[in-house]
This record gives sequence, C-alpha cells and structure tokens, in this order.
Amino acid sequence: MNNSQYPLARKSGLVVQEMPDEVLVYDLNSNKAHCLNETAAKVWKSCDGRTSIDEMAAVFGKGSNEDLVWLAIDQLSENHLLETGVTSKFKGQSRREVIKKIGLASVIAVPVIASLVAPQNALAAQSCHCVNNTQCSSGPNLGHCAATTCNGSGLCAAP
Amino acid sequence: MNNFSFCFKSYGVGIKIESNSSEVLDLAVKAAQRALLERTAEISCADAMQHFQILGGPDGVYSIFQNGKEMVTDKLNLRFWKYFDSLVRILVAEFTKEVVIVHAGVVGWHGKAIVVPGDSFFGKTTLIAEFIRAGAEYYSDEYAVFDESGKVHPFERPLAMRSDGPEVVETTTDINEIGGRVGRNPIPVGVLLFTRYIPESEVNYQFLSRGEAVVRIIGQTIPIRRNSEFAIKVLKNAVSSAIIVKSSRSEAREFARGFLEFVDNTAI
Repeated sequence: MNNSQYPLARKSGLVVQEMPDEVLVYDLNSNKAHCLNETAAKVWKSCDGRTSIDEMAAVFGKGSNEDLVWLAIDQLSENHLLETGVTSKFKGQSRREVIKKIGLASVIAVPVIASLVAPQNALAAQSCHCVNNTQCSSGPNLGHCAATTCNGSGLCAAP
Repeated sequence: MNNFSFCFKSYGVGIKIESNSSEVLDLAVKAAQRALLERTAEISCADAMQHFQILGGPDGVYSIFQNGKEMVTDKLNLRFWKYFDSLVRILVAEFTKEVVIVHAGVVGWHGKAIVVPGDSFFGKTTLIAEFIRAGAEYYSDEYAVFDESGKVHPFERPLAMRSDGPEVVETTTDINEIGGRVGRNPIPVGVLLFTRYIPESEVNYQFLSRGEAVVRIIGQTIPIRRNSEFAIKVLKNAVSSAIIVKSSRSEAREFARGFLEFVDNTAI
C-alpha cells in the first residue's frame, strides 16, 4: 500500500456529463459507458495529481474512509479512468470482502461504477430481419434473435 | 448500362438509391419512404452521402449494396424488401445528427412518455399494444426518437406483431384496429421501464438511478459509437425528469394495466 500516490484523473478521450449525485463518463477509446455514483465521482474529481490518497480520505472524515477511497481508486484504475495505474491496497482481497468491511463501518455510500460497452455500430438496432441463414448466424443478428435460421417470414426465428 | 437513381433525405441523412431497373428503383424508393413513414424529401444527389444500389439481372435475382458493400443477394420477394426496409431505417438511425434514435417502444400517458427499451424478441410490441388498449397514446413500437432537449417524437409505424406459434410470423397491425390513437406532440420522458418477458414471473418494481439508466440504455442507442457526445447529452436530457423502473413481467395485459396504475400512483 502506498498512500503517498497522487492519482491523476484521465481527461482525454472522454465525454463527461454531470448529473445530480452522479457522473456519466463515456470512453471514446473503448466505447464503454460508466456511471460513477456520488462517492466514486467525488474521488475521481479529487484525482488532480497533487492530492494524495491520504488527503482524499481526510475529505470523507474519520473511520474506514481510507478504504473507501481506495475502493474508488481501484475501480477508476480498472476502468482506465486514471492517467496512470496505481498499486492497489487490496491485493489478495475480493471486492466483495472489502465492500462488506467498509459497508459495515461507513455511513457514506460505497463507491460504485456501473459500466457497459456500447454495441458495435448498429447492433442495437438489429431487428432479426433476414433473407438467408447467413445473416442469422453472423453479424449483428447473431445471438440476439430467436434462432440462427431465416424462416419464410424473413425472421431469424423458428422455421 | 444506364442506372436509374433517386435521392432523398430523412432526419437530415441524404440517401441515394440506384438501380439498373427503373421498376426496381420505384419499388425501392416506395419501400424506403414507407420504412421512414414518408418523412422524406427529395434532394439533389450531390447532397446524398449514403448510397444503396439494387442491381440484378434477367434471372430476377438482385443484390443490395450499401455504400459499396454487398448486403444480400436474392429474388425480389417479401423478405427481400423487409430486409431492405430494415437496412434503410438502421442507416438513418445511425447517421442522423438531428435526433438520437433508441431501440425502444414508446407510449404517451398523461402527457409524458413511457419508454421501454429492448432488443427484438423481448416482447416490446406486445406490451406496447396492451398499453394502447389500456388507453395510452401510441408513439412507437421500435424507435424512440429523441430530440436534443430529450423529448420523444412519434415514429408511429404499424405495430409489428410476432406470433408465438410453431413458426414465428410477423404481421402488422394498424393502431386503429386495436382502438388506439397516435400521439402527435413531442413529450418529455416520464418513465423509463426496463422489462422483459419471463413466464410466470412476479412483478417486482425496482428503482434505478438516472445515471444507471443511461448506462443501460446505451445498449439500445443506435448512434452511440458514431455520435457519442451528442447521444450521451440527449440521453442525459431525456432521463432528467424521469423515474427509472425495472421489473420482469409475465402476461402483457395484466402487467400493462398494473404498471399504468403504478405510474398514476407515483409522481412523474
């Protein structure tokens, strides 16, 4: 563990939208969307490259807040939302164990980052229409329709 | 060989359709206009950045090329044109910069939209039809069209119902046939509902945050990769005053009526 690390939030290649109590981040490089809850967002905003993790923890007050900050930092790092990697404090511990430990001791919401990769171009629009079987067993329809064969109605569905 | 062409724009996307047969071109233009609910206007072909070619021979077999890439080759039958319909709609949804199009069903209820995102075969249309039978206004069974402020506009194509029989068949149902009416005005989103059909499941409403809702809806947002910044901004605006609910559902009729009651009892 090294609380003298000075994490720096990534700025480039991101679309950031502030929402009440949350921050939305869309990563243009990985096409991944993230929702940072209030705690995760607060830590991310504190990552200015000049504030140490100890100093960030102090903002949250006493108690198990250092772990809280570390949990946020870990997730931010894992999701490539920091400029440089950080050495995790929780080596050998599962996130569930850490959350359980923090959750019992903290009145502050545990930092959570919910993420989803955007589908390939028009994948989301697939309508399961087809002309032949190939279109059901490859491309955007694959895995999204009721079957991998194109039926007489022009649908990747039961023949 | 001379080719025939027609150019139009829809939602700001300029499209050129070209064929080596004037009859096929006529059919293709009509199919495209129908697919886009006639929201098209003829333009000069110099302004058309997207290109469909439908080229074939005397054997009646034709190929669709989209921007030079062969998409399909087959006879000019019903499923050929349905597939072309689908290609045209997806193209416009992906390239428009005027609106953000999300794969979702939409109804209007007391001046606000209930938006139900979901992929095909999630039972969206069945649920939308039941909302309409319960008195909601119809906006769309496939595409939620959001303007920059986040309001939803109608995309009121006939309901594309899919049968549950041994062969899945798609039939279209006019909204009037089920006693429904179409919403005409853009409306703000009141509720975003994430649901899917699970036989014999219990209704279990869970509230999600607006940020989580945007992350979830990314999966159905067609231009998310091509126009990410605009799409994220519009989605944020769309959910800004909405409540976000998720629940599994079993029978659509019972769920729809129960859900509208739930909405009435929840300040939106």
